[in-house]
Amino acid sequence: MREIIKITIALTISCLLAGTLIGITFIFTAKAKQQNEHLNVQQTMFALLGYGKSRPAPPELRLHQVHRYIVKDGDKMRMGYMVPVRKEDGEGYAFVVLDLNGRFLEHHSLDITPDEALSDEDRKKALMRVLKDPAEFEFSDTMIIACMGDERTAYLVPGEFPGFKTFIKAMVALDTDFKLLGLEVIEHEEDPGLGGEITQDYFKNQFVGKPFDTLKSLTVVKEPLPADYERYLRSMGTEDSGLSARQVAEIQKHYQDKDIYALTGATISSAAVTDGVKAMTRKFAYRIQILDQAVDAGNVPVLF
Amino acid sequence: MAATTKTNTQLVVNGLLNENPIFRLALSMCPAVGISTTVANGLLLGVAVLFVQVFSSCTISLIKDHIHPRIRIPTYTLTIATWVTVIDLVLAAFLPVAYKAMGIFVRLIVAFAIITMRLEVFACRNTVVASFWDGIGMGFGFMFGMVALGTVREILGMGTFLGYDVLGFRPLLFFVLPAAGFFLVGFMMAVFNYVETVYNRRAKRGS
Repeated sequence: MREIIKITIALTISCLLAGTLIGITFIFTAKAKQQNEHLNVQQTMFALLGYGKSRPAPPELRLHQVHRYIVKDGDKMRMGYMVPVRKEDGEGYAFVVLDLNGRFLEHHSLDITPDEALSDEDRKKALMRVLKDPAEFEFSDTMIIACMGDERTAYLVPGEFPGFKTFIKAMVALDTDFKLLGLEVIEHEEDPGLGGEITQDYFKNQFVGKPFDTLKSLTVVKEPLPADYERYLRSMGTEDSGLSARQVAEIQKHYQDKDIYALTGATISSAAVTDGVKAMTRKFAYRIQILDQAVDAGNVPVLF
Repeated sequence: MAATTKTNTQLVVNGLLNENPIFRLALSMCPAVGISTTVANGLLLGVAVLFVQVFSSCTISLIKDHIHPRIRIPTYTLTIATWVTVIDLVLAAFLPVAYKAMGIFVRLIVAFAIITMRLEVFACRNTVVASFWDGIGMGFGFMFGMVALGTVREILGMGTFLGYDVLGFRPLLFFVLPAAGFFLVGFMMAVFNYVETVYNRRAKRGS
């Protein structure tokens, strides 16, 4: 009995010490980590839109975040979108509520600053203030609308889908006709060297330039990647591709409506990404259309 | 095993050659087979293991007199997990570039047999200084093994070295797959054993 107590005490103390050490490290690193992540996402978004070190983003470019919520009103489900709007004294945010058929119901002006709007918690508080009690709502996802001045140029859609092992987090960029502009894998735990290759340019870039109609029915084929196509995919976005403009145009035309060539030894990961991108694009195209209609119907002065 | 009588240099060499974690002790085969597909992967995992091994060895040898013998293993696991978490957090905060490449591997280290085994066999019987050098030796030994495997697998499997195209074609994709990892580990073990036999024979003849 005495030994059990001894062991219990020893283990408890060890765990407490370990916990303290981890806790202290967390306190010192949390802020930097968050900042890194934020920066990372920002960089990914600009890179997807084609901006980088050699081509900085113009100052007119603005990325408007739209947050989607599921609102419970009694026993009815509603959809809510938090959108940036024009107000008398500048810019602010509003919450647009729709029913499940996409009909506009109401909109509330939100009392929240742009900095606060980045934080999940602060958004929740602001929504609590405007929604009727008992306000039951749940954050669903975020989409980003890129505007150049007043003109809409592209959409950025973050998403998550099941991969070979766990969920893969990715982001796609679409133009206003939902043609795919870019795909970035943000987080994944596929096998290095096999499924992990989904982060490589020669896989990711296969999606680039696919029109919406092709995306809707995209699948993978288990065929080796043709050599000229691989060279084109690897060199995409770099200055020196070794291919003439005519060759590039030919390759683009030839492969634009083709399916995705699966990675060797990782068909499941390849198919998972393909299905994920397909689903993300389709859902987004549907949602943005409904949101646009609702915003028009409700005369909400949105910024995008 | 009583406290070691080896010098610090001997401890490091011991980890690299005589008791190389992958080729002689045959421990941590999981990462050796699964992750050593490229040189960069092997190198990054090696660096991460080196740090965790050194920190854990030092911690355990510091507190070895206070560990209840019946809960040795849980204490080791706790120590390793703590250091892995700390390294994970620090990397994520201050070296985001390295973390992007190593992030997945670092969390795997908790389950590596080599670290627990070194704590059990060495660190809980020796001084902090000796444990530190043993940790260094084992860490570099593991890194050496991973890089050796990674080099062969990357060149033969993908025709590249550290991501640079050296062959211009992919000789045998088989080498990237896990099965080739086993094959190659066995082959390299044979080479290690052969070299040792030859060396011992020479040493005998010399004396």
